[in-house]
Amino acid sequence: MADLSPRPVPAPDELTQPFWDATAAHRLEIQRCTACGYYNHPPKRLCDQCTSPDLGFVPVSGRGQVYSYTVMRQTSIAGFEDKVPYTTLLVELEEQPQLLLVSTVPGDGAGIAIGQSTELWWEPIEEGFVLPQFRPIA
Amino acid sequence: MTWDSRGKTAVVGIGTSKLSRKADKPLGLLALDAARAAMEDAGIAPGEVDGIVTYPDQPFLGAGNRDGEDLVTVNFLIDHGGLAKDLKWYSQISSGMIPSAFIEGVNALVAGTCNYVLVWRAMHLPAGTYGAWRSNRAGGDTQFTAPFGAANPFQWHALAYQRYMHRYGAKREHMAALVTNSRRNANLNEQAYFYSQPMGFEDYMNARMVSDPLSLFDCDIPVEGCTALILTTADRARDLKHPPAYIAGYGQQALKRPSLTTYTVDDYMACGGSTVDKIWSMSGLGPKDIGAAQLYDGFSPSTYYWLEAAGFCGEGEAWQFVQDGRVALTGELPVNTFGGSLSEGRLHGMGHLAEAVRQVTGRAGQRQIEGCDASIALDGSPMLRNAGILFTSEP
Repeated sequence: MADLSPRPVPAPDELTQPFWDATAAHRLEIQRCTACGYYNHPPKRLCDQCTSPDLGFVPVSGRGQVYSYTVMRQTSIAGFEDKVPYTTLLVELEEQPQLLLVSTVPGDGAGIAIGQSTELWWEPIEEGFVLPQFRPIA
Repeated sequence: MTWDSRGKTAVVGIGTSKLSRKADKPLGLLALDAARAAMEDAGIAPGEVDGIVTYPDQPFLGAGNRDGEDLVTVNFLIDHGGLAKDLKWYSQISSGMIPSAFIEGVNALVAGTCNYVLVWRAMHLPAGTYGAWRSNRAGGDTQFTAPFGAANPFQWHALAYQRYMHRYGAKREHMAALVTNSRRNANLNEQAYFYSQPMGFEDYMNARMVSDPLSLFDCDIPVEGCTALILTTADRARDLKHPPAYIAGYGQQALKRPSLTTYTVDDYMACGGSTVDKIWSMSGLGPKDIGAAQLYDGFSPSTYYWLEAAGFCGEGEAWQFVQDGRVALTGELPVNTFGGSLSEGRLHGMGHLAEAVRQVTGRAGQRQIEGCDASIALDGSPMLRNAGILFTSEP
């Protein structure tokens, strides 16, 4: 294979900058509706549940469980060509049903099961971004 | 109460272009091939088509958007289709898949706006890896997925399917029954990309894994080409060449959904059900009346979700339902009798509509289901915006 592509880096905007500011300081903050308390992720202009524009970022526990997972075997994502097989984890945070974050775990998913508890760790990548990552715990 | 306009409109012509991995002409010409074939099949002249509608979207996000090459919009057909000098009506939709465009055509006919509607779906197959992510910047919602190595639609479907399997006990080998059944049907469909390639249980089980639990054979086969249909009113339909496929009902998914970057299986019963309930209610028919079901299979698990959401079997039972030949041409509910997108080719649901028309008009050749008075086509996944049409052989 030729030179590996650079891994995709987040391109924050006004709506998402607070999320990345928090992760750079190793804090996980999710957008929450001031009016109804619903967590919106990815962040929204208007609350998914009540359409209120009054939204702000609040810290969450970082505790969650494996909602689902898939073992990626294709080299069809830039920057991940040399990482296959890896496992894409969908983690449901304990704060709200279907509050789902995508995460990456090396390897072919052996030992991973839906419902397993997860823990948060921080992965620094290019340009000062820090990704919130999750891994299953026994 | 059934729909006042049940049986008042019908499909009277089917046209297809060649389906291939690399066409020898631009997509716009394939669309014109299909459109002209549909008009000829209906026995009408191009100048009689006075309404047109499509769902023109690119094959995947980020593909090109040159009209006549990457996609075929109504503008292209107006400029190059040789249609009625003064079209009465046109539309193109951006949500709800090709049946939603079809529904627009039905409504225009019911309203008396026009006489003959051309509906088409043209699909391009760009060079390179299908749907690959090649950007080193991830904006919008993708900033929460692509930097984590998740950016291909098959990953979202794999995540949903994994959860389905976990919840209901389905195993990968169960899916072999559905996928190989579709291939057997495609082997009876000359237009199918996999017409001359059989697939057995071992072939399926040994397929290269793409994103576990999805293998290559759980993904539809991208092709380029076009299928077109001609719709008209029932009174005109009766005088044309072929028996009409009457439209008995239609439905679209319009429930509020959680806004997620990933797919989940948590609400497929409610969301798919909302589409199908409208169809049963409009038509006065139900699952037991269906002679053949054309259920979307862009990824194979979508067909499971449809079988359950439409009430052909119970929730969580589709993986058992598809066993023992139950969905074969000779079974109690023949499914994807043309081979589906998995084996005919990815026309993004248009193949399902065309086959439903063929089955209720006795035009399905070797794969014809005896006495098929009603066939339903449900397009898109129940987990997403979707839509469907029910066709009958009598008004």
